[in-house]
Amino acid sequence: MEAEIIAGSVTVLGDFISADAVLPARYSFLAPADMVQHVLTEVSMEANAGVRTRTIIVAGEAFGYGTGRESPARALRAAGVRAIVGGPFSRMFFRNAINNGVLVIDCPELAACGVADGEQLQIDPTGGVIRWKDRTFRTMPAPEIIRRIIASGSLIEYGRALLQADRGASGS
Amino acid sequence: MTSSRNVASPQTVAQKILARASGNDAVAPNQIVEVTPDFCYSHDYAVFAIDAFAQMGATDVVAPERLAICLDHGFPVNTARDANNHMRVRDFARKQKFRAFFEGGTGIAHQVMLEKGLVIPGALVLASDSHTPSGGAVGALAIGIGETELAFVWAFGRTWLKVPETIRVTLSGALPQGIQAKDATLSLVKRLGVLGGAYKAIEYHGPGASALTVSERFTFCNMSAEIGAKCSMFPHDAVTEAFVRGRAQFAYEPVHADAGAIYCEEIALDLAQIEPMVVLPGREDRGVPVSEAAGRKIDQVFIGSCTNARADDLALAARILKGRHVHPQVRLLVVPASRQVEIDAARSGDLAVLLEAGAILMPSGCAVCAGTHQGVLGDGEVCLSTSNRNMPGRMGNNKAEIMLCSPATAAASAVTGVVTDAREFLE
Repeated sequence: MEAEIIAGSVTVLGDFISADAVLPARYSFLAPADMVQHVLTEVSMEANAGVRTRTIIVAGEAFGYGTGRESPARALRAAGVRAIVGGPFSRMFFRNAINNGVLVIDCPELAACGVADGEQLQIDPTGGVIRWKDRTFRTMPAPEIIRRIIASGSLIEYGRALLQADRGASGS
Repeated sequence: MTSSRNVASPQTVAQKILARASGNDAVAPNQIVEVTPDFCYSHDYAVFAIDAFAQMGATDVVAPERLAICLDHGFPVNTARDANNHMRVRDFARKQKFRAFFEGGTGIAHQVMLEKGLVIPGALVLASDSHTPSGGAVGALAIGIGETELAFVWAFGRTWLKVPETIRVTLSGALPQGIQAKDATLSLVKRLGVLGGAYKAIEYHGPGASALTVSERFTFCNMSAEIGAKCSMFPHDAVTEAFVRGRAQFAYEPVHADAGAIYCEEIALDLAQIEPMVVLPGREDRGVPVSEAAGRKIDQVFIGSCTNARADDLALAARILKGRHVHPQVRLLVVPASRQVEIDAARSGDLAVLLEAGAILMPSGCAVCAGTHQGVLGDGEVCLSTSNRNMPGRMGNNKAEIMLCSPATAAASAVTGVVTDAREFLE
């Protein structure tokens, strides 16, 4: 199973948007579907509308820094986001997003080159290649474990498949 | 995923601990390894891990003797929803036979795990909180993970990690009177920026490091989260040994970096040159010397959080507040980092001094820090806080502002109602 190519339109977000600003702690206990109306509203209503209608985020420096709560990543996934490129990102947000099935790729030069809201991006996780207009950005290919989690849909799905395989192997 | 290999090159502390935890002789930076952690813990947000665990179809945790939960984020609860979540967490910990469950009020998880000897030297510790690196105060390699990932570790006993490069910070000199580890830490955050240590480990070395107490080391390691670091450690020495002896609940083996280990960056910090620091609102790397923030009006002072609410912190605050009173237009909220800290401060008399000065004592826990439980600010209000984060909205209202500082600066400012250099009160 390999992670497929992700193509879609982008929402461009600025620098130093903390995970607390993506989704404040007070909304952590909402069901993911109910988080969607709050995601990124601390930044702007446009940002909220953007991630609810477009599948890729082009994020600025340190996007998702600060709290290691998983709910900000969960909220972005629930809003329909499938990939976040730009950064650099904080490590806990990076892992939380991946574990919720949202691919994250460090590519600060893309965030700096003038991509605009609504433009199209194409991302190949296996090759680490991102295409925007006539330009190609080569990044570190996602490691195998990350590609597997993304291909499974989330760490929960990945774990469920592993447990089923383990049980099958033990004949129970 | 992992491969055994003979790398002869000298290893950092992070490399050595990750090599052992992944069954390798040695590992190299950026290598991805599958690790078996020695200990994992969580707090109220364990409820999300419990959901994920069930959704994976898992039924029994692997190695429950290596697992613990400490309720700290919102206790006592405000809503039936939170009460029900706490019930589920208690029930899960009991049924799954976790080694330890700490009821709300015991303290902040990071503090409690050290006090109870569950986080120990040389251990690989994973916990579902960004301030997990605090465990480096006793030489543990302590790394934050998300809640779903914690569920994965409960179910499988393992996860993947990237081997970090390491920054070596050499501390020299001694902190002057009235200046605390927090001031040095805030200086370092200012210097490196909020992602200046991203994906990296930090090792503290030097004569300045060995002179620090475990509480002070805790403050340094705790706020390594505010430079994006993966983990942060002080080397094992007599101070560590005195703290963990008779306390550690597992056998431990101190880990030291090899001579000649490769560091990606070397930083020197002279503690004697540190000034009291105040972080201006909005981001943790906006620190300025207290003189540049002095006179700014404040509405609430929070002496609490895993960063700075231990017995030494409360003692210094009490020394400043003794015989003085909190400014009538300021609320001073004091939240000891644990019940043990509270007991120590009660026995020493420091707690009485704080209360006589007008402090409001709240149950031990995370309290005001994350903006979800008590002490939320009103529009336009300013909180001066000994905690670790001040991004917009952190304390539950993005129309309020947060400044960060040491307990000494917090106590002095609580008296005057404006940001104040505590050294004026300590002469």
